[in-house]
Amino acid sequence: MEAAAGAEVPEMALSEESRWSLVDEISSQVIKNGHYTQKVRDIIGELTVKPLTGIPVAIGVMYAFWSIFSSFAGTLCTDGFFVKFFDKYFLPWIQSAWPDPGSILYFLFVGDPTADNCFEAFGVLTSGLFVAIGVVLPAVFIFYLMMALLEDSGYLPRLAVLVDTFLHKIGLHGYAIVPTILGLGCNVPAVTSTRILETRKQRFMMMTLIALFIPCGAQLGVMLEVIPESVGYVMLLLVIGYFVFGYILSRIIPGENPEILIDVPPYHMPQRSNILKKLGMRTKGFLVSAVPFVLFGVLIVNVLYLAGVIQWLSNALEPLFVTWFGLPKETAGPLVAAFLRKDLAVAQLSAIAMTKFQMITAVVLISIYFPCVATFVVMLKEGWKELLAAVLVLFVVALTYGGIIHAVGILLGVA
Amino acid sequence: MSQNNNSIASVYFAIIGIAAVALGIADILVWSGISGGIDLGIMSISGDDFFRWAWGGLVVLFGGILILSGCSDIRYIQQFSKVLLGSIMIWVIAGCDIFAMICGGIPAPKDAPEFLNSFSGFLGYFMPPYAPAVILLPFTLAALYLYYRWGFAEKAEKD
Repeated sequence: MEAAAGAEVPEMALSEESRWSLVDEISSQVIKNGHYTQKVRDIIGELTVKPLTGIPVAIGVMYAFWSIFSSFAGTLCTDGFFVKFFDKYFLPWIQSAWPDPGSILYFLFVGDPTADNCFEAFGVLTSGLFVAIGVVLPAVFIFYLMMALLEDSGYLPRLAVLVDTFLHKIGLHGYAIVPTILGLGCNVPAVTSTRILETRKQRFMMMTLIALFIPCGAQLGVMLEVIPESVGYVMLLLVIGYFVFGYILSRIIPGENPEILIDVPPYHMPQRSNILKKLGMRTKGFLVSAVPFVLFGVLIVNVLYLAGVIQWLSNALEPLFVTWFGLPKETAGPLVAAFLRKDLAVAQLSAIAMTKFQMITAVVLISIYFPCVATFVVMLKEGWKELLAAVLVLFVVALTYGGIIHAVGILLGVA
Repeated sequence: MSQNNNSIASVYFAIIGIAAVALGIADILVWSGISGGIDLGIMSISGDDFFRWAWGGLVVLFGGILILSGCSDIRYIQQFSKVLLGSIMIWVIAGCDIFAMICGGIPAPKDAPEFLNSFSGFLGYFMPPYAPAVILLPFTLAALYLYYRWGFAEKAEKD
């Protein structure tokens, strides 16, 4: 660079030659030249990002994720140990130890005195504890472990790149896959993790889509327990809704959808200390923030039942449920109560006589019509204006989508 | 590595790839009801579980296709990587099947008073028949052998 005409060159300034020599000296100390050879790890890294090979690998990874999830949480923990512990030992003990089965306190905390399993008892200390500890905790534990492994191995950023094209169609970018998958474990940390998205529009959309179309681990666990043969259809309807309403929201809500810019790290072996730290933090977060709400939710539902509020709401909303959604009027109670406990609402639905199509519709409606109370509180923390807007969207979507599913069922002759 | 070794490895993985493709398709056909259950020695394909047979079968099929696409000129690192990735996909399904057996075998049966299964009861979960991915697993481990034998692992360590 030449000095401007007439300007004095300070005495201490280096000549051009000296400056280049200095650059050479510094760069020789900090830059190491070598010959790059492609490694198997690098090529596999590239293959898992290219759509042609990356999508089949993603299908395989998701399979492993859900297979390990259901084997560990469902087969080993819940069915293997907790069902036996709660139903054979804990329930008979608490039913005999708690005095006066006709009292209000018994109804609130132990539930149905004739129940022979914690699933159907609906007391705070029976169904509440069983679902929180026996169903949700193992599900959340294994879910967070798998998430931490995917994150630390370097696969998650690749998945984000891979799904970026699809998610851009609905105004989000690839990293929206993180809150989406996290939401399948628990919607509470998923709503919090929407902060990784850049614009207010994206964060609001993601929060709303999580509350609407992502069933949490508790609900999934109960669905796999109660309606295992229909879970695939329910998930399919939720995925369709996620993309259709995501597309509509993206067109309606003003704001920007910036491009993704991700640093994709090479694959590496996850560090045990990191995994344990993440697992510990997230599980503790779940125990502290969600479990009390689960127990409190059962208590409130039971109080509302006692006060006749649920019955009154069921009667008031009966025409909507029967005519618009095509469901039996008895489903109104569980659907109203689902605001507090979606998982228990699914369990309650299983006791109502319905066709398979009606059951699928009812479970989809439970998923989409309102977030659980814990998610509701976290959404409130993100801003009350956003929460109000999200609630408005939730009601419109639930009414529209529920009606559309019913209409499609009529056309197909299954409703 | 010699040309002869390369050809043997290529033919070997071509056979594994074809077998994986065929078994993946068979998984899906059996699930869809087009074909009845298949029992072949210690191997069994049965059931209408979408998750295991349709989705899992699809992954085995993709694994087979990846192995087939990489098995010619397998001595080249790009081709070998495809074979290894295809094999990993089969290991994923087989690993999940074995993990499911372990999870099913640890607790005692539902009606038993105890919580843990007996040792013989636990071992009973590992008796044949096996799903196709589990049968393919030991054969695909040859990819891991070649990874070390042909020095791809050493190269990664050096760098």
